[in-house]
Amino acid sequence: MTAFHPLVKRLLDGELTLGELPAELRAEGQAALRILAAVDRSPVRLPEALDARVMAQVRRRRASAGSLWRWMAAPRVPVWAAGALAAAAAVLVLVVSRPGASAPPAASVATAPESVFVKFVLYAPDAKRVSVAGTFNAWDASAAPLARAGSSGVWTATLALPVGQHQYAFIVDGQRWIADPAAPAVDDGFGRRNSVLSVSRNGVRTL
Amino acid sequence: MAGEPVAVRDLSDGDVVRAVMAGDAERYAALVRKYRDRYARYATRLLGSVDAGEDAVQDALIRAYEQLAQCRDPDNFAGWFFLILRNRCFAERRRKRREGPLEGAEVPAAPDRSESDLERGEQRRALEASLLRLTAEQREVFVLKHVEELSYEEIAARTGASVPSLKMRMHRAYDRLRELLEDHQ
Repeated sequence: MTAFHPLVKRLLDGELTLGELPAELRAEGQAALRILAAVDRSPVRLPEALDARVMAQVRRRRASAGSLWRWMAAPRVPVWAAGALAAAAAVLVLVVSRPGASAPPAASVATAPESVFVKFVLYAPDAKRVSVAGTFNAWDASAAPLARAGSSGVWTATLALPVGQHQYAFIVDGQRWIADPAAPAVDDGFGRRNSVLSVSRNGVRTL
Repeated sequence: MAGEPVAVRDLSDGDVVRAVMAGDAERYAALVRKYRDRYARYATRLLGSVDAGEDAVQDALIRAYEQLAQCRDPDNFAGWFFLILRNRCFAERRRKRREGPLEGAEVPAAPDRSESDLERGEQRRALEASLLRLTAEQREVFVLKHVEELSYEEIAARTGASVPSLKMRMHRAYDRLRELLEDHQ
């Protein structure tokens, strides 16, 4: 391979000028600069139709998330109870109440701080301890412990979550991270899956 | 002031992200408009064609919406979105590489067909063809430094790579380009 002189590379990096090169390297420097002279920096404008295509997908995803919420919100406690007993781990998120429901309207949507109580439930009969971590508590595994509900193997915790989307996972015995097996999850970029829920003033839905 | 309506144009990226996460999905259109073209050149030059760049930007915008809850610093949506687009472009490069060598870079023909323009067009095509034969990492650092005209420090901040490793990558790219362009002549 024909390598450029290190000083010529510094010329290409903009750290030296052609005049600062030793005379014997100037021809090589000029040849190298011709590479950069051929660089195409013209702007690229994408068609405005792209906006409509993206927003159509956004609306479609939002609509399907809404359908899932309606399914989740339907009265199906007996089905859930049976399923929870059969599954190794099952998670349910329920709206208990809306602490901000009687508060005056917020200044703007962008800064609305309203929060909603959400109950997290995990069936983990062999667990010694369980907690829930997520974007709402900076993924602190010890911030939100669940309490064992009798001897049924069910663990619960009720948290006030701000309106917005949240990702979460359960931590069993301080080590095992469990995503909600009944809800869509997203890749966290580090090989794990996080469950997603959306808290709005009207309720909670999994996404 | 509390209770005063906020115009879309006055909202920061962070405000828009928080509004979308609060359920106002239509606000996402503001981010689409803002970032559609901002990174289009990066994606197009990295992938070698406007069509591929457009697909990448579109997919990245949809993916960013799907993963908005993972945007831990809404005020830095731009940097977070860039990484999503970058991953998408690298994945496309890997896919194309499996299918066969990247060829046929699109370089728009100059409207003025004078001899010097034709020569410049030929030099551009030769460089574009050679850039497509660099590794994805080498090509990216070349595009960010010499097309987007960012400093090594700015590239490091965007990509997470160190300045010395970026320089090494770039210097290897210079040598490889020299070799490829000599072969082209």
